[in-house]
Amino acid sequence: MKKLIQQLTEEFGPSGYEAPVRDLIKSLIVRHVDEVRVDAMGNLIARKKAVPQNGIASRRIMLAAHMDEIGVMISYIDDKAFLRFTPIGGVFPSTLLGSRVVFTDGSVGVIGREKPDHPDELPSISKMFIDVGAKDREHLTRKVGDPATFTRPFVDIGERLVAKAFDDRIGCAILIQSILNNTVSPHEVYYVFTVQEEVGLRGAVTSAYGVEPDVAIAVDITLTGDTPEAQPMAVALGAGPAIKVKDRGMLAHPAVKDWLVDTAKRLGIPYQLEVLEMGTTDAMAIQTSRAGVAAGVISIATRYAHTPSEMIDFADVQGAVSLIDGLLGAGLPF
Amino acid sequence: MQSKELLKSLSEANGISGYEASVRDLVRAGFMQYAEEFVTDTMGNAIAIKRGQRDAAYPQRSIMLAGHMDEIGLLVTKLEKGFLRFTTVGGFDLRVLLGQEVIVHGRQELPGIIGSRAPHVLSAEDRERIVPLDHLFVDVGLTEDELAQQVQVGDVVTLRRQFTELSGDLVSGKAFDDRAAVACIAEALKQLSKMKHSWDVYAVATVQEETGLKGAMTSAFGLTPDIGIAIDVGHGDMPGVSEADTVKVGGGPALGFGPNIHPLMYARLVQTAKADEIAYQIDPIPGASGTDAWAMQVARAGIPTALISIPLRYMHTTVETLAIKDIERIGRLLARFISSLDETFAEELGLSIPGQIP
Repeated sequence: MKKLIQQLTEEFGPSGYEAPVRDLIKSLIVRHVDEVRVDAMGNLIARKKAVPQNGIASRRIMLAAHMDEIGVMISYIDDKAFLRFTPIGGVFPSTLLGSRVVFTDGSVGVIGREKPDHPDELPSISKMFIDVGAKDREHLTRKVGDPATFTRPFVDIGERLVAKAFDDRIGCAILIQSILNNTVSPHEVYYVFTVQEEVGLRGAVTSAYGVEPDVAIAVDITLTGDTPEAQPMAVALGAGPAIKVKDRGMLAHPAVKDWLVDTAKRLGIPYQLEVLEMGTTDAMAIQTSRAGVAAGVISIATRYAHTPSEMIDFADVQGAVSLIDGLLGAGLPF
Repeated sequence: MQSKELLKSLSEANGISGYEASVRDLVRAGFMQYAEEFVTDTMGNAIAIKRGQRDAAYPQRSIMLAGHMDEIGLLVTKLEKGFLRFTTVGGFDLRVLLGQEVIVHGRQELPGIIGSRAPHVLSAEDRERIVPLDHLFVDVGLTEDELAQQVQVGDVVTLRRQFTELSGDLVSGKAFDDRAAVACIAEALKQLSKMKHSWDVYAVATVQEETGLKGAMTSAFGLTPDIGIAIDVGHGDMPGVSEADTVKVGGGPALGFGPNIHPLMYARLVQTAKADEIAYQIDPIPGASGTDAWAMQVARAGIPTALISIPLRYMHTTVETLAIKDIERIGRLLARFISSLDETFAEELGLSIPGQIP
């Protein structure tokens, strides 16, 4: 599964420009599902038919993970071929210095900064620029509107993994692994790889409307409280997949939360409960789709989220896959 | 049941956003004395349906009444050395959290208090400021090990406060925002049971209003009413606040107008109040009302919506205060309004004929 995770995190896909990620995922799953389609927004929607089981009510379950990652877009080019840029999603200016960005064609740029007024001044995006090494404007192939993402190789450091875009390629990897595990499910399962989560859950809004699920689970990352002087939070790397109770945007449906907890207990999968005081996931948008959807979230504890060096624990990922397989394989308690 | 008794039982029930189940049982009992059908939808909205008696020549029309049954509260974020750290669900007034009695809904219900450091040991600067959330904790009296047996991250904490009758007609308690609206709707159904009405009534006690109007958004989509009225609380008069920014407690329903409110709905409410000599106040709302009306108005292809506010003091504290007669007046106004609804009004609003694309 680490190979799969590496492939996914190293792929290019800022919000609105997810095609390379979508093509990769499609190629990995197409032979293992009953139907794959791409909707108008670009969401990749894969369906597995229900295998009816006596005594189990079949439900339509939507699993969602977002394909997009944060990035930047060129907003202005000056006479000397330096590129000014604007963020796509929640980019922290302080993590940009020294970063490299990559464009759709694979070409790389480095991020530089105007001379600060004070040596310890925090950088602001308006005072930074991308340098692609062009001698002058004549030699520049970039143009205003070009999107870019951060580039940083995947690193396997044993129990823990480091990469860019674990948010939310790790969710994509978990869904793909669940498809490949080929769990027989009495439920009709829609695996939805959404677009534009980082700019307002926009792929989830439309895909949930289109799929009309009874129950939905988003798989995404969450923050941790296990680093020095962190904001107090009872989530840690390696303590198992996190089952969300609340974040800034939603309260998980209590019945879904209990279903996740009880399934984890039944299968002996370590888990942790999550109350996140900032941020939200696709589940927020799915929950209020049409007349309402019972929605919950499985989260992967992630340190240094929204930086090019996010860190996760591989056992948490494996736990999340087992949990999803367990959920899909049995009847729902509600 | 009288409005006061219903409000007392609703207010003393515990149900923060997302966890409204125990309130829903009371709502059901309150509404179903006067309605025929009851549905709980996926989000947990409590929906009672009172069918109208219509002439077969006219299309079936419906009105949705929405009052939210969730209350603001707290959620455990961390267990720390025998104490509980927490976050707020909905916008609790941080100025009044210290010193509150609470109930921690763990493995069983545990009484607790919210504590912080004593003023004696604070710096002059800290004494002056509002105690920030990360300086507050819940103490239930258990040791670290005992607490871990009883409580886990994500457990709900509700504020504990008995309903109090003040002098005059005023009452005080927690969660009047917006259970007082549930009492208004129950009163409306009661009065309506003695009247004729042709439109169906969807009486909805919505969930999760305090966390983003979510119950109203989904129930309005599910029910597809022709028109809707949200009932919520409005800031009441008190010393030091301009009359322009408040409505008078005991002064009658505050009828909202502005972009969130359909002008013909507002006009008809005013006309109904005048005709039936119900005291009312006008309540200009220049933008987002922050109520269920805001979500209902843009459900599906759009729903003509009105907003009636119950004048209330000390919003988002445990001593919210209102006048019982305002609840009765709103119930009467709603009943009269509903009983007056006819196809002429539907045409004035430009409502489509059900089953036809406009």
